[in-house]
Amino acid sequence: MNGEYVVQTENLTKKYGEFTALDGLTIQLEKGKILGFIGPNGAGKTTTIKILVGMALPTAGWAKISGIDCSTRSREIKKLVGFMPDTFGGYDNMRVHEYLDFFGAAFAIPRAKRQKRVDEALETTGATSMRDLFVESLSHGMKQRVAIARTLLHEPPVLILDEPANGLDPTARVEMRHILLNLAAMGKTLIVTSHILPELARICNMVAIITGGKLRAFGTLDQIMHDVREKRMIEVQLATREDVAKAAATLTAMLGPQAQVQESQAEGMVRFTTTQSDAALARMLVALVDAKIAVAQFRDVPQNLEDAFLSVTQAAQTPGKADGEKITAGGGRA
Amino acid sequence: MNNPIIRRELVGVLRNWRTAAAEIIFTMTLIGVVLLRWPTNAQVSLSGRQAQEMLRLFGYAFMTAMILIVPAFSAVSMVREKRAGTLALILNTPLSPWSIFSGKVAAISGVIALLMGLSVPAAAACYAMGGVSLRGQIGPLYLLLALASLEYTVVGLYISTRSNRIDAALRSTYATVFALVTLAVIPQEFAQGRMTGLPAEVCQWLAAFSPLPAILQVFGQSGVTHAGNMSAGSAVFRYVVVSIVVILWGTRATLQRLNSGLFDRPRSAGTITDESSGGVQAYRRVMYLWFFDPQRRSRLIGPLTNPVMVKEFRTSRFGRSHWMMRMIGACLIVSLALMLAAARGSEVVNTRTMGAILVILQSALIIIMTPGLAGGLIAGEIESGSWQLLRMTPLSARSIVLGKLLSVGRTLLLLLLATLPGYAVMLVIDPNEKTQVVEALVSLVIMAVFALLASAAISSFSRRAATATATAYGFLAVLCAGTLLAWLGRGSLFGFTLVDWILRLNPVAATLSAIHAPGFGHYGLIPRTWWIMACGCGLAVVALVLRTWRLTRPQ
Repeated sequence: MNGEYVVQTENLTKKYGEFTALDGLTIQLEKGKILGFIGPNGAGKTTTIKILVGMALPTAGWAKISGIDCSTRSREIKKLVGFMPDTFGGYDNMRVHEYLDFFGAAFAIPRAKRQKRVDEALETTGATSMRDLFVESLSHGMKQRVAIARTLLHEPPVLILDEPANGLDPTARVEMRHILLNLAAMGKTLIVTSHILPELARICNMVAIITGGKLRAFGTLDQIMHDVREKRMIEVQLATREDVAKAAATLTAMLGPQAQVQESQAEGMVRFTTTQSDAALARMLVALVDAKIAVAQFRDVPQNLEDAFLSVTQAAQTPGKADGEKITAGGGRA
Repeated sequence: MNNPIIRRELVGVLRNWRTAAAEIIFTMTLIGVVLLRWPTNAQVSLSGRQAQEMLRLFGYAFMTAMILIVPAFSAVSMVREKRAGTLALILNTPLSPWSIFSGKVAAISGVIALLMGLSVPAAAACYAMGGVSLRGQIGPLYLLLALASLEYTVVGLYISTRSNRIDAALRSTYATVFALVTLAVIPQEFAQGRMTGLPAEVCQWLAAFSPLPAILQVFGQSGVTHAGNMSAGSAVFRYVVVSIVVILWGTRATLQRLNSGLFDRPRSAGTITDESSGGVQAYRRVMYLWFFDPQRRSRLIGPLTNPVMVKEFRTSRFGRSHWMMRMIGACLIVSLALMLAAARGSEVVNTRTMGAILVILQSALIIIMTPGLAGGLIAGEIESGSWQLLRMTPLSARSIVLGKLLSVGRTLLLLLLATLPGYAVMLVIDPNEKTQVVEALVSLVIMAVFALLASAAISSFSRRAATATATAYGFLAVLCAGTLLAWLGRGSLFGFTLVDWILRLNPVAATLSAIHAPGFGHYGLIPRTWWIMACGCGLAVVALVLRTWRLTRPQ
């Protein structure tokens, strides 16, 4: 398995005294994938990242990058990981090329290659025009680009980016998205945290949702979207408005008296939420057709990552569900 | 309290545990000074001599403490807000610049008033001994120190509005206060007995920038500034006039800067000489001798060079070669000018006196520069968030520490080397001084190394550059200026042995002793001070290494 997965954690746990910051995190990530690592503030994202980059030691479990243990061989991990923390970490009175030259030298990139690496990193991040500017004079968006360029200098296979899109304007956010997708296309494996979930949803292959130190959901975006929804909203668009009441009655009869079925005469539509399976939904459609109701559309209202995130975090706060229940890459709840 | 700035600043300062620590240390120091010389045999001199001597010691300790504490509050006040972005928010409120300025002055004055209140028991003890006038001595002393504190508050705030970095603001403010307190009296020292008329008058007015002549006059002392030779009331009068002028000027200058123009500046265009026109390139090559051009595109860090050292050079103002050359040039000119004056001087101003002045200037440079450069070495990285980036590089803790120490060490070494020609001239004038000069230079080097290691060690224990820098300034000032209080009370309050023992802790005193400066020649501080400093350096290195190792290892 170690050969397939670039990033692996197993039962990763971190405790600070009595407080459990991270509780049994197990994830795997393949080469070239982008993992969106999301969770509310204080969920344990930064703790996980710190362990992965060798800045913190786990209380239990292990984390490996390219098969190398993050706790025992942190010196080697530094060469494998490009880390961009949520703070820029700039120096006053220093130009961008001097700043990158410093980190290049710190990573022991030979002088003969360093200039080329700096130029390439600037070009990859679209920051070539900033090379002579002073670091402290850069705008936030510019700093984010330079920060990513810094992580690329030593050509690490794994990039861990903490809030790269934070504070960026829409244009810069789109450009950042392209940069991250390009990096993945170059074969880099990315772990990206962000609170801007729609943005994250557009670039991630994999998503991990963490709350209260526990992994609540992990898998591809589609799997998460599909599995996370306890209640799906279904819209039934009718061909004629006269059928709205009849359709609502039919659906209520099938769903039970507790069901929330909404009628919209103006739209000629009936909406309801359900936890029932696709097969049950198919039976409802057949029942509507059998009742001579002209159904124009019978559709699942699409949800986004924000909905999924809210669903997972709310479920985690529900008594009885806070512990143990997790949506895994294989689908379903574990 | 209608001004919200006063409330916020004062409450913020008083809630801070560091303020409480400063107050406790301040009170304990003053009480300790008084208790040290409190009569134990239930006998008091009827002439009041003992009380007078104790008052003087109390006064100097009080003044030193105020000089150390006040700049720490005022220097960071504006620049911290500027960096945090809160100054822009305040300027965006209906508060006028005067409200902001007066609020900050009032808040710092509140702390000063508190400190003065805490000093009252010690002053009362002096008064209780008898022979000390409340209206003629204690009252004027408090008024003069209050005026001086206000002056340094205003100066500190002005410098703070001009600075962009906290360590730079602290360094500049302490340097300015030091210049106002001590350097201002040097011309008068030369003028005494040598100048008359307008030049002498100018020197006296220059000396009035320092509170020393006025305080000496209140104490009825002559000596360092020959205040006793002046007409009655003149030193106090001059100081009051000059400090009021400085306060008014500082207030006006600060108010002029407190507007949106403070932030109305374009981002640096990142101009590079290499990409300028041929004419501009030729002009700058001549003006900056090419190598020292700050806009020259820097070369890549070399293969055998510590990258942290180069980074520190580039991020520090005095690490940039053109600033360094300016300072070295100034040191060179001052040291040669002093020796030239000695060569042409009379018996009053001989090479030994000049050597002492040179040593004091060098010591002052070391004490002023080193905490400013080294105080933020570790704390600044932690504060800016760049420490975790350094941790993510393969650089070892040893490389990081070594690079940082070397960067400041080089600056200090160049400063020391810049004054060598002055000592060379001194030896040419009087070859018999060779041993003294060598011992003085060794003492200066040891002082610089100790100041560097102590400041860096202090920096590793703090998470804020301003705190680390101010603590380092305080530590060195107490060591180098605080222990001189015992020297001031030599012969009367303190016996020779006690003064000798206390001065062994003071590297400046050791250097002055080495050069046989007036008043220090009798103390055998060398090599004892060297050993003590070596032990101090060892302790600082151990603390620095352990702390840095702890900061670099995984949590």
